[in-house]
Amino acid sequence: MAQDDDLAKLIIGCKDGNNECFSQVVGLYSSRCYGYFYRLSGNHDISDELLSELFVKLVEKIGSYKGGSFESWLFKIAANLFHDHLRGKQRRKKLIEARQGQIGSDIMDPIRADDERIDRLQIQLKRLDPDTRELILLRYYSQLSFKEIARMRSEPIGTTLAKTHRGLKKLRQLMEG
Amino acid sequence: MDDQNQENLRELLATFFDAEQVDSYAEDFQQAEQVFHQHPAPEPDDRLIANIKTEIAISLGRRRVKRFKRWLYEAAGVAAAIVILAIISLQLFEKPVNQPGNNSYTASLLPTALWESNDIAADDVDLAVFTAEIEQIEYEVHTLESGEDITESETSVTELEMELAEINTDFWKG
Repeated sequence: MAQDDDLAKLIIGCKDGNNECFSQVVGLYSSRCYGYFYRLSGNHDISDELLSELFVKLVEKIGSYKGGSFESWLFKIAANLFHDHLRGKQRRKKLIEARQGQIGSDIMDPIRADDERIDRLQIQLKRLDPDTRELILLRYYSQLSFKEIARMRSEPIGTTLAKTHRGLKKLRQLMEG
Repeated sequence: MDDQNQENLRELLATFFDAEQVDSYAEDFQQAEQVFHQHPAPEPDDRLIANIKTEIAISLGRRRVKRFKRWLYEAAGVAAAIVILAIISLQLFEKPVNQPGNNSYTASLLPTALWESNDIAADDVDLAVFTAEIEQIEYEVHTLESGEDITESETSVTELEMELAEINTDFWKG
């Protein structure tokens, strides 16, 4: 509860344009958001870029935050940014008539990712379907409840639970295999 | 990274699955999420965080300037609106002084209700003339009474009386 109060104060400060409050929010969420972007993209440069964009968006959009779960609001922006990134990538790909294939698998392509630093989890995450992968990562890094995730994804909570369970089970099997 | 919603997970699962499945599902969730604990994602570079904070500071500065400009434009707009309204109000409500065609109100020497005349202005002129004549006659009566004009006193008194009678008639005719 105390954490919620502190966060509420920080957000009020952010809304007032207080630079120090924004710095504290960056300190609080940069690690989780970076992890989310990195696990989605498998690339440090893209993650750096997306994290910068996320906090710039935060400054721009903080006025539109009307209460509720801040994490849910922030990670929704993060998810939208990643989708925008994917769409941009797809457009560029079409333009240069690059090879066909799923966007997700292209993003997670080890050649384009930081393959020398890539870990086993990153490789196995790539083997999940993009939607399940995104759901699992959102659940883990945003720490949102299933109820909030279901609302964010506009799907029944039972569907969210089942998809997450299936995905996590598969991931575990892949990691053990 | 601890799951802050762990406590509610069993309760939530219980709404969808039977008791046996709940345990199995909960265990699956916990074990699978352990994988993330064991393989943490890289942390953002310190320089990146510093750059983001700098970028935020610049962005906030721009926002302040933008907000000030907007306030300035709004204030200028309001001031302009007030000036325009004031000008329009002046044009609408200001009464030009001494312009022909305006209604000028003049008061009658006698109250209209008493006088009951259709031409009070003309009556006023008459009244002024009669008043002057009366004053003249009074003066002449006074002269006669004081004996300054003895020779023509008889005739003069008669004339005066006639004159007074005439004025009296004219006066009440209006």
